Amino acid sequence: MKKLTQLLGAFMLLIAMPAHAAPVVGETAPDFMTTDIHGNAFKLSDHKGKIVVLEWTNHKCPFVIKHYRSGNMQATQKAAAAIDGVEWISIVSSAPGKQGNVDAKEAQKIVDDQGATITAKILDPSGAIGKLYAAKTTPHMFVIDTQGTLAYAGAIDDKSSPSPKTIKGAKNYVLAALDNLTTGQPVETPQTMPYGCAVKY
Amino acid sequence: MRFSLKYLSLLLLLCAVFMLAPPLTSKAETRQSTAQEPEQYVQTRLLPEYGAIQPGQEIWVGIEQSIYPHWHTYWVNPGDSGSAARINWSLPEGFEISEFYWPAPTKIPYDPLLNYGYEDHVTLLQKLKAPEILPDGPLKFSADFEVLVCKEECIPEFGTYEFTLNGPNAQDENNHDYLLEARASLPIKTDWSVFYGEVDGQLTLDFSQARDLDLTGIDLNTLAFFPLEWGVIDNPQPVQASPDNGALTLSQARGDRALSAVGNIEGVLTFSAPDGKRQAAQFTAKPAATMASALSEPTSKATSGSINNALPKTTFISALIFALLGGIVLNLMPCVFPVLSIKALSLVKIAEKHPEQARMHGLSYTGGVILSFLAIAGALIALKMTGAEIGWGFQLQNPLVVGLLAYLLFIIGLNLSGMFEFGANLTNIGGKLTQKRNDKSHGYSNSFFTGVLATLVATPCTAPFMGVAIGFALLQPAIVSLTIFAALGFGLALPYLLLSVLPSLQHIMPKPGAWMEIFKQLLAFPMYASAAWLVWVLSQQAGSMGTIGALMGMIAIAFGIWLLAHKPKNQNLRIFVIILAAISFLGAVKLLPSGGEQSQTTQQQSVRAFGEVFSNEALESALSTNDPVFVEMTAAWCITCKVNHAAAININSTKALFAEKNVRFLIGDWTNQDPKITQYLDLFGRNGVPLYVYYGAPDANGIRPAPKILPQILTPSMVADTINT
Repeated sequence: MKKLTQLLGAFMLLIAMPAHAAPVVGETAPDFMTTDIHGNAFKLSDHKGKIVVLEWTNHKCPFVIKHYRSGNMQATQKAAAAIDGVEWISIVSSAPGKQGNVDAKEAQKIVDDQGATITAKILDPSGAIGKLYAAKTTPHMFVIDTQGTLAYAGAIDDKSSPSPKTIKGAKNYVLAALDNLTTGQPVETPQTMPYGCAVKY
Repeated sequence: MRFSLKYLSLLLLLCAVFMLAPPLTSKAETRQSTAQEPEQYVQTRLLPEYGAIQPGQEIWVGIEQSIYPHWHTYWVNPGDSGSAARINWSLPEGFEISEFYWPAPTKIPYDPLLNYGYEDHVTLLQKLKAPEILPDGPLKFSADFEVLVCKEECIPEFGTYEFTLNGPNAQDENNHDYLLEARASLPIKTDWSVFYGEVDGQLTLDFSQARDLDLTGIDLNTLAFFPLEWGVIDNPQPVQASPDNGALTLSQARGDRALSAVGNIEGVLTFSAPDGKRQAAQFTAKPAATMASALSEPTSKATSGSINNALPKTTFISALIFALLGGIVLNLMPCVFPVLSIKALSLVKIAEKHPEQARMHGLSYTGGVILSFLAIAGALIALKMTGAEIGWGFQLQNPLVVGLLAYLLFIIGLNLSGMFEFGANLTNIGGKLTQKRNDKSHGYSNSFFTGVLATLVATPCTAPFMGVAIGFALLQPAIVSLTIFAALGFGLALPYLLLSVLPSLQHIMPKPGAWMEIFKQLLAFPMYASAAWLVWVLSQQAGSMGTIGALMGMIAIAFGIWLLAHKPKNQNLRIFVIILAAISFLGAVKLLPSGGEQSQTTQQQSVRAFGEVFSNEALESALSTNDPVFVEMTAAWCITCKVNHAAAININSTKALFAEKNVRFLIGDWTNQDPKITQYLDLFGRNGVPLYVYYGAPDANGIRPAPKILPQILTPSMVADTINT
């Protein structure tokens, strides 16, 4: 009987995890457990009650450079950090040998050089977390609300040009989503087309 | 290439001068390979069609990209990553320039992602229009061009390019032929009627109405679909092409963006022509219908992707409840009620003396109903798996089945009228009241077959709650479908079952007595009425010959029954009479029209009296106007449809309202099989009629609100409210 229930459980899991399921905005964000670059355990579901921003990054991608060299991403992080209970997780899914793949030490140096304000940096060289979220580009942004529901997925802003000149006047979707969430409104733009370099799986 | 060299060198020089500083520095970091890498991965040239332009003239301008080997640039929809090229013009006063015309892209996989773009060489095109009054002398045109070029890593390249028209060398410059070649790679704009929908997590594109699409001799493996909209398909997934009698349907796994947020889907279809040349056609796919926003929750915009979001929020549990309620309501249908009331009365009589037998009867009957539902549903699912475009009620789309049901109702009527009693071995309907029960089974098998009969006679009456449940059921895996059908059967059986197990209910029933014989005879008339109505359905399907065949068949049946009721004593005569009766019965069946012949003309005429005949073209042309559109899906065998039509639509007030608001009224008749209507029903998550859909008039921007689905039981005020709001 116990075996049967186990078998049934495994079967249900198979049904629940179709091969190409992208996380659905408005539904529970997929949970994952890993360690950050300092060896601290990170489990998404432990952070219920906080708003979590996931940022897919690759420091050599021109689109990431566009937002860091201009200071736009750091400003967004600072604005997020100023809101009580917002955590910012930066994730690198570049596979070994691919652009943007770094070790923990290099990763910390990049964070320092960028002057980034983040809660944790996570290296995902296997691409498991990236594929779990169907992260396609760098940057690709996800905002998870305090209930653990995926509230926003898509681009950082509405200017998909690689040119830093387009940052001024762009609509920052992440800040807009955070603003909606903290004022108790529904997220006005819950999903946009992510733009940038392909994640180097 | 007849482009002046002098001009070219000037251009290159300008490029170098205007190259912006910041990207150059970032480029240095992003390049990982060293040595032979070029200064630029994309060499860009601006190519005006002619060196001179006249007032009011429109000419082409080409933006030619020569791309470094193995690198690529992007289409307007770049796919999973990347970015489309951008251009920002500085034009002399009064000049206008169009958006890009994008040549058909290719698929560029980068596992597990996929991009849409160009390799080696591509020329984007724009149309430049001169004003009516043109200043004298050379005109300078300059453009900031930005292009993202990628292999694994990506590099954005920026440049400012220029050309001059009406300059001193104007007559030497002519790129007309070269741009003609470039224009050949633009997709041909078509006005195809293409409809998209979502089925089982797939985006489906129906090209059956795209008349100019000729696929003869085309290798379907070369077909590719490129949506201009992001997120509608899962880009790396393969596209499936299924040509069906020359009508093409494409399907590809859905992307993560909710279709409700998309509207029309522009797309490009490419394939290799028999001569090996690549053909590309651009089309606009319309939602044959997205789900009415009224039915989905307000948050549905925030959710994405899966079929459950595009369709109304019917969960398994609510479908079960709908099925159960629908089954209960079926008991009240004119064709079911007489059978059951007689059955119920007989039950009370049994229960007085043998309550445990009454329970067994209840269970046998329930078993009969549920098993019959499962059998019909199983057949439906099996047929659907073979690709047949059918839905609930499909049994009645066959004239032979309709005819046999008419006979059945007629025979039951004769029985209730007292013309004959069923023998003990036959399905026992009302005869149990007077029949002596000597067999050990106490007639349980009779109860079982009463259940089968109840199911058979119930099928024409798609009860109000059944549409949603059945629509949901048929989209689910077989096991879920069957569970829902079982719930439907259980609902149908429930009143009788309760009666059989609850003595308190039995006490409410009137005491049996002589009045029952008269009551029984009274109940014959609804049966005759139901039979007459089925004959009318048959007349819609098979014309006047089918009708007379069925009527003669009924007489033959009555004759056969009369013969059997008056069998002579003489053995030889007896055999002769029995044979004659058998011939009558067989003849009755033989007189029915077979499933193959269908009379399209009668069907079309029957709906043309008021409203237009539904077709995809008619719907599309109606939707292309500024008028509201009302679609009714009906069938001759669907009682609910007929009642709704008579009570809420085909009445003076509704007709006047339709006329006042210019409502285009389309009626689809599903009396016979019609894949187009089945597909339309599918789009709304339905699998049976009736279906009423209202498309409101477009707003100031020419966009129609999401179509609204009306309830399956209509009142005039529901129709009026829908149209007036």
